Amino acid sequence: MSPLTTPPGAAPMSDVILNVHHLTKRFEGLVANREIDFEIPRHAIVSMIGPNGAGKTTFFNQLTGIIEPTSGTIEFDGTSLIGLAPHEVAELGIARTYQNIRLFANMTVLANVMVGRHVRMKAQWYEAVLGLPHVAREEAAVEQRSFELLDLVGLPRRYADDLAKNLPYGHQRRLELARALASDPKLLLLDEPTAGMNPGETRQMTDLIARLRRELELAILLIEHDMKVVMGVSERITVLDYGERIAEGTPEEIRTNPRVIEAYLGKQATV
Amino acid sequence: MAELISGRQLRRVATIGAVAAVALLYLCMVGLVEAFKDRNVVTGVITLGAVMLLAVPLIAGYRAALPPRDAAAQSLRAPQRVLLGLLVGLIAGAVLGVFVLIASTIDVRGVLVRISPPLLEFLSLGLPSGLALLAITGIGGLMGALGALLLVSPARIRNAVTSGLIAVLFMSMIEPLLRPRLEQLDYTAISDFLYKSHGLTEVASILCFVVGAVAAVLWQPGNDFVRRTVEAAPVQTRRRIRGWTIAALVVAVLILPQVSGTFLAQVAVLVGLYMLLALGLNIVVGYAGLLDLGYVAFFAVGAYLTALLTSPDSSLGIGLPFFVALPIVMLGAGMTGLLIGAPVLRLRGDYLAIVTLGFGEIARVLFESDALRPWLGGVQGILGIPSPFPVRIDLQLGATHIFATGPQVFYYPIFAFCALAAVFAYRLSNSRIGRAWNAMREDESVAEATGVSTVSYKLLAFALGATTGCLSGALFAVQLGSVFPGSFDVFVSITVLAVIILGGMGSIPGVILGAIVLIGLPELLREFVEYRVLVYGGVLVAMMLLRPEGLIPNRGRQRELHEADSEEEQETLDGDLMPQRSPA
Amino acid sequence: MRFRLPQRINLVSTILWGLRIVVAVLVLAGSWATLSSGKLSPDTWRDLIIFGIAQGSVYALIALGYTLVYGVLFMINFAHGDVFMTGAMTAFFVARNFGESGFLNANPIVALLIIFAVSMLTSMLVAIVLERIAYRPLRRAPRLVPLITAIGASLFISNSIRGIYGEQSQTYPSVDALQGRMNILGIPILKTQALVIVSAIVLMIALVYFVERTRTGRAMRAVSEDKDVAALMGINVDRIIVTTFAIGGLLAGAAGILYALVFNEVDWFMGFLPGIKAFTAAVLGGIGNIAGAMLGGLTLGVLESVGPFLLLGGANVPSPNQLRDVIAFTVLVLVLIFRPNGILGRSEPGR
Repeated sequence: MSPLTTPPGAAPMSDVILNVHHLTKRFEGLVANREIDFEIPRHAIVSMIGPNGAGKTTFFNQLTGIIEPTSGTIEFDGTSLIGLAPHEVAELGIARTYQNIRLFANMTVLANVMVGRHVRMKAQWYEAVLGLPHVAREEAAVEQRSFELLDLVGLPRRYADDLAKNLPYGHQRRLELARALASDPKLLLLDEPTAGMNPGETRQMTDLIARLRRELELAILLIEHDMKVVMGVSERITVLDYGERIAEGTPEEIRTNPRVIEAYLGKQATV
Repeated sequence: MAELISGRQLRRVATIGAVAAVALLYLCMVGLVEAFKDRNVVTGVITLGAVMLLAVPLIAGYRAALPPRDAAAQSLRAPQRVLLGLLVGLIAGAVLGVFVLIASTIDVRGVLVRISPPLLEFLSLGLPSGLALLAITGIGGLMGALGALLLVSPARIRNAVTSGLIAVLFMSMIEPLLRPRLEQLDYTAISDFLYKSHGLTEVASILCFVVGAVAAVLWQPGNDFVRRTVEAAPVQTRRRIRGWTIAALVVAVLILPQVSGTFLAQVAVLVGLYMLLALGLNIVVGYAGLLDLGYVAFFAVGAYLTALLTSPDSSLGIGLPFFVALPIVMLGAGMTGLLIGAPVLRLRGDYLAIVTLGFGEIARVLFESDALRPWLGGVQGILGIPSPFPVRIDLQLGATHIFATGPQVFYYPIFAFCALAAVFAYRLSNSRIGRAWNAMREDESVAEATGVSTVSYKLLAFALGATTGCLSGALFAVQLGSVFPGSFDVFVSITVLAVIILGGMGSIPGVILGAIVLIGLPELLREFVEYRVLVYGGVLVAMMLLRPEGLIPNRGRQRELHEADSEEEQETLDGDLMPQRSPA
Repeated sequence: MRFRLPQRINLVSTILWGLRIVVAVLVLAGSWATLSSGKLSPDTWRDLIIFGIAQGSVYALIALGYTLVYGVLFMINFAHGDVFMTGAMTAFFVARNFGESGFLNANPIVALLIIFAVSMLTSMLVAIVLERIAYRPLRRAPRLVPLITAIGASLFISNSIRGIYGEQSQTYPSVDALQGRMNILGIPILKTQALVIVSAIVLMIALVYFVERTRTGRAMRAVSEDKDVAALMGINVDRIIVTTFAIGGLLAGAAGILYALVFNEVDWFMGFLPGIKAFTAAVLGGIGNIAGAMLGGLTLGVLESVGPFLLLGGANVPSPNQLRDVIAFTVLVLVLIFRPNGILGRSEPGR
């Protein structure tokens, strides 16, 4: 687990790891996110829910630097994320998984995880070219760690040399998780991690998510549609609808919030 | 016997026959037959032109007899298949015969410049036109039937025959190289036994055929035997075997120029230069997935920079020693790589290719232009580049006399640089950098989000590729002693790309093999030089259709490129005409 | 959805800005020098512009082939330039025959129409065969593969023609009826140039009509929007693609004759440069966009004709004509780097 070091002279470690203020994203006439305020306490599991098209993935994409916000601020552990390139965001400690699985399909399982560790590795190209011993040592260490991550997410080690695209669906999701965890993130963004899973698999994934937070001490932001998962694992829930935040609170509060129910929970409120 | 041939089969026959006919006409019209109708393969028996012509209905007959995918046709029996082959051959032959008939009557040379009277004479076998038509048709049918026969024969016979024929062809093709070399080494007896009038003697051809056939028969069991022995041996022995094999290869490569003579050494030098280029482009195209069609620009920059810095006759006239200039050249190379890479970072595959092509062409025109002549020498280039390597070696070491000249000496630096480049590239590909490139190739935005700075890594690929290319250019300049802009055209870029494609993108052994095959072979088979580019084009197309992953593919690529196929196979129309691809 | 990478790339931004500045300075300084030196008379400029329009018309016709194919397949048909060349080379023999027999001058209209027909049909045939053999099997391959195939096909076709028709370049016979100048709206213009421009306009109008008003044209537009949905709508996608190639071939064949009328000489290698320039034109106007191809072609033609003299004539640069191609390539590079969508915007890949 990476130490949460504070650069000298910076503000002391707050209890909020992500602070989003009035975040707005406009796409040529469509306002995908409107003035969203959002917070994630350190080491918390927070969910973001809302009907399809509410702007959740757009929100994610702004966090990770794939698209630039129209206005608003994003502060992660004391550093502003606005204008950073995605790889810089990854370096700061945010990792994510994707709604439709986006693995490096033609790379092996092990290689996928090791790429996840890329930001934390130090070997430079000239060092690799010269075959310096510390490069080989680093590679071995990363390989070791990658195997450990596979164990952690429940992916049997024997798959390590298979191509990622040949894995069964459930294992692919786990691999994506392992890859994201490989960079020792402080914040993990999970975009619909249980999509396409049956109840058994969903339960396993939920347990895994809870365990990850426990063992690795990271914060998790979850986009989910499956209410059982959301209600079961989240400490706080934020609800988006038509690009706006319409509610925020504990699972109990959300479950009974009339605006939320009106927006889309409907009968599922009795979950 | 069930129905002779179904309508569907007839349609297939017609299609394949038509294609074969077009192929025959093409061979004649493009001039291949005319150029080689006198080139003996087996003297007194058959010439290369004839071989080309006969090969078409043979292959067509083989194809015609090949079972298509529907179950009903699987049950065709041997005689029916031979019949199919026969028909295909007849069609092809008939069309050619008619063509010969027409061409003998009307003079087509105004349009089809290669259909000369000697060619027609050759094609019609010296018979009057009417008979010639029948004869050609008959021969076509015969070859078609033989092709089909080959298909229905048991595999062992088929492999033996094919292998024997290839052996004969091979031995006759290398005649221009082997015979002079044998005579140089005073092995005239052997050379006389093998060759007569540039073709194989009849006895030698039979010998070659037998050797080839036997080799085919023994290949599989031999392979298995070796593998079993090696696997049965303890790990220590296996490692030792590997060590010795590699050592043997290295020794072979090292003494090659001494054994093979000056001409072959010259070819080896050219192969080495292109191999270095290909290793560099492999980093850009194979590892990072950036299709660069203007790679020749780096080659040119390297050559010109070296010329400017080391030649006393250049506009700079500083005459630096080569190895002092080299770091400067490589630095310049890196910068050029960055300059060219930076603007194209955001471009997608095909656009990237065209822009780099544009850069390459701009570079060439600038090097050639009168406007820049005061500095770059214009069309005449820069002369007087000194070489840091000895021009000849004449040593007496005890009892052995070592004598090497020109290319035989230059071979070693090139080989050394290639080896270095290969090792560096290999280490890169197995490191975190290589993984980052792979990831970028797979999914650029996800790679970026996972922490790979795509900008930096693309630039790195360009810079490293540029440096390697410039290095090759520097060696080229030194070897030639001068640089002319004419050497740096788009074909160089395309050739280097073809080497990588043929060998296997991202695969170092593949690239090495590709250079040897694509550069070495045409140089060795000098008789074909006029058709070299034609063959390049055909090879590129064929490789993409049949084996896009190359000769020695990178492991992941083969699966990557053939996955698309197995989905495709259900959707392809006219499965019969499309080359059969083996499932992934 | 297209993602845009943030702009925080310092080294790259610097280089790009440097490039912009260098180009701007060269263009402005060169133009100023030339115009203020008054070396070239207004008449010369006029002739250069008209030549550029004629040349541009040829580019436009070839560019349409690129743009149509890109619209349906999202690939660059690198071999399209050689499709253009094959038509021109094949029709040459007909033209020569007509020239020698006198038919060309006795009945120029009929003769030219036949020559056009031969060229257009030949090019169409080559394009169709090309699609069938080299491109169709690779429809779903990663994009690198068809591009390389196209390069290979280009080499193969051009060198085959070199073998079949011979190495040397051929000169088209001149048509008496097309000699000299005529006056259009008071502007003197070479008759050949007039024919080129008019023919190109006619063909382009025919194409637009075809694409906008006929059923097949509509189907083509559907396929270029979304291949799979079009298939679901009952459109035979394969046949539409073949039609697209065929039309591209027809236009290229016509361009071949027009090229011959303007430049007179044809040879086996003539497809390479015009091919790349036409591609530049297509991208300049916005690839996938028919109007864009036309606009791009004309623009490029004029730029190429006027450019060397405008930028360098005043600066005492020897033989600015050699740099004509550099102008074209530079335009290509600059457009692709700074405005890959072209002037009128491009169609997005559906994948």
